[in-house]
Amino acid sequence: MKPVQTKHIRLRIIIVGSIFSLFFTAIGAKAVYLQIFRGPWLSKKATNQYEVSLKSFGKRGTIYDTKLRELAISIDITSIAAHPQKIKNAQVVARSLDRVLKINRKSLVRKLSSDKKFVWIKRKVTPKETEAVRNLKIAGIDFIPEHKRFYPNKTLAAQILGFTDIDDHGLEGIEFYYDAYLKGATSRYTVLKDALGRGFDSEKNIASNYSGNNLVLTIDSVIEHITEKALEETVKEFSAKSGMAIVMSPKTGAILALAHYPFFNPNAINDFNQKIWRNRIITDPFEPGSTMKIFAAAAAIESGNSSPNSIFYCENGAYKIGKHVIHDTHKHEWLSLQQIIKHSSNIGTVKFSAITGPKYLYKTLRNFGFRTKTGIDCPGETAGSMAPYKQWTKIDAATIAFGQGISVSALQLITATSAIANKGVLMKPFIVQAITDQNGRLIKSFGPRKVRRVLSEKTARTLVRIMKTVITEGGTGVNAALEGYSVSGKTGTAQKIGEKGTYADGKYISSFVGFVPAKRPKAVILVVINEPKKQHYGSIVAAPVFKKIAHKTIDYMNLQPKSNTGGLIVS
Amino acid sequence: MTVRKAKKNTPKPKATLICIIFMTMFLAELLFYTWCRVQYIGAGYEISSATKHHQYLITLQNNLKIELASLKSPERIAKIAKNQLGLITPTQEQMIIIP
Repeated sequence: MKPVQTKHIRLRIIIVGSIFSLFFTAIGAKAVYLQIFRGPWLSKKATNQYEVSLKSFGKRGTIYDTKLRELAISIDITSIAAHPQKIKNAQVVARSLDRVLKINRKSLVRKLSSDKKFVWIKRKVTPKETEAVRNLKIAGIDFIPEHKRFYPNKTLAAQILGFTDIDDHGLEGIEFYYDAYLKGATSRYTVLKDALGRGFDSEKNIASNYSGNNLVLTIDSVIEHITEKALEETVKEFSAKSGMAIVMSPKTGAILALAHYPFFNPNAINDFNQKIWRNRIITDPFEPGSTMKIFAAAAAIESGNSSPNSIFYCENGAYKIGKHVIHDTHKHEWLSLQQIIKHSSNIGTVKFSAITGPKYLYKTLRNFGFRTKTGIDCPGETAGSMAPYKQWTKIDAATIAFGQGISVSALQLITATSAIANKGVLMKPFIVQAITDQNGRLIKSFGPRKVRRVLSEKTARTLVRIMKTVITEGGTGVNAALEGYSVSGKTGTAQKIGEKGTYADGKYISSFVGFVPAKRPKAVILVVINEPKKQHYGSIVAAPVFKKIAHKTIDYMNLQPKSNTGGLIVS
Repeated sequence: MTVRKAKKNTPKPKATLICIIFMTMFLAELLFYTWCRVQYIGAGYEISSATKHHQYLITLQNNLKIELASLKSPERIAKIAKNQLGLITPTQEQMIIIP
């Protein structure tokens, strides 16, 4: 080979070698740049393409009645959302969605054209609507799984249960009070996605692990239904404004039923007036009227100043205290304390309470739990109102004894009556008996809690006997008598205070409180009818409701009539 | 001299065999690894689909629970008992005590 040729070849080798060296140096430099300097950023970008982080909301716990029948449950439901940045033509998409979901098109266009990354289109839609939107196959529309509260018994125990908002937060009743226990936890989990966007190898996401706890109430849905039905019939019959009724176990303080009328359906709260949402039995105080006489009698007997046979002159139906005149419905002359309660004499009550003295009466009423919250596990409880005895005038001391000039909640009234039925021991009322986790394991349980002894057992027995006479012939509560069972009770008719702050004409609260069977009471029942139109006496309006509730409840509890002492009942 | 050179350049059959064995092992390992990955991905899809089905069945079960709860409603049962079966709450005379 010639030297010139050799030189050329060497030059070419050097040039090609240099080009390759430069090329490889450039590749190396780029690799160093990508791997070392941009490495973390690129890894993150890659991860974002195949990993999707999702948020999961645990299901809200179930609310059961005492026999584990569902009162409130959560159902799986879908919400429709959009990622506006992925929407190509907001107008067209809005038109398509509007046709299916029936929502305002203008606001939809505004939402879809916004700069936000995520907007809700419609929350908690029906399965039919979900399917229809899915079939539209619109890019940028997302289907978010959510939960919705559902009350299978509709209006049953609605005021006790309350309801939740769209984000599953408790707003009223038990749903609100026990929200911390009921609500599910929020969890994040990662799903790997392939190029086609299919989910793959998701991290273990067991939504149930994040579910809220369940509540077991003391309410029995059958007794609740019996109570609500009886209450509804009476409120309608007497064209009353509203009504309340409670059934309580005197031995434990457990609430078996707590009914209000008018009803509302927590599945559709917006269709009902906001005023009827609350649990008025617990939140609203009222002047109880003559049902308070049993507590005045309790104070009189317990003080030792009077006995059931002590007699008092009832002034022939009119008794003047200062400028005020107190009247009785029927004129009476001499009545024993027992007869005063039986005939519900206001004057007689004023007379024996005067002997008891305001201090002792006040102390006894406080011991029964008036002017103090019972501490029930429900929101918004009222303590009622009663002025301290030192502030009482003569007329105050007189009227408080027969239930005017004092306000109590229906719950306080039934709890105090339960103390008489429970041999003088006041129990704390409660509505939730257990909290369990999603697998039914017990987390917390609530049992009967004794508050204090209010009366001696002897006085309590005497009062039961006196209250029994109210239901006998000539007594005001004869309409509450039950065939085959002994009943103790007391009627009440109270005038309502009008808008001007004085007692309004024709506006009354009719009530009846009693228990059955009188000897070993299983159920204490209170009925309060607000502003009945055709009649207003507790004996005519409220006592029959007590009878209806007691009859059916006793039958449901399978309690035997008093003449029978053993054996099975077949009917 | 030429014969000696040719003998020197010819690869030994034993070394070739070792090479082939190593190559085969490497390829087999590669294929096995690939098969494992494919199986893993396949199993991942199966798990995802089974999870989806499980979720569907849970939803179905929940819906049935809701239906059952609605059917057990005291209001509905009372209506059927009263209107369809003609049942009433018994009075004391209608009760028979079995000793």
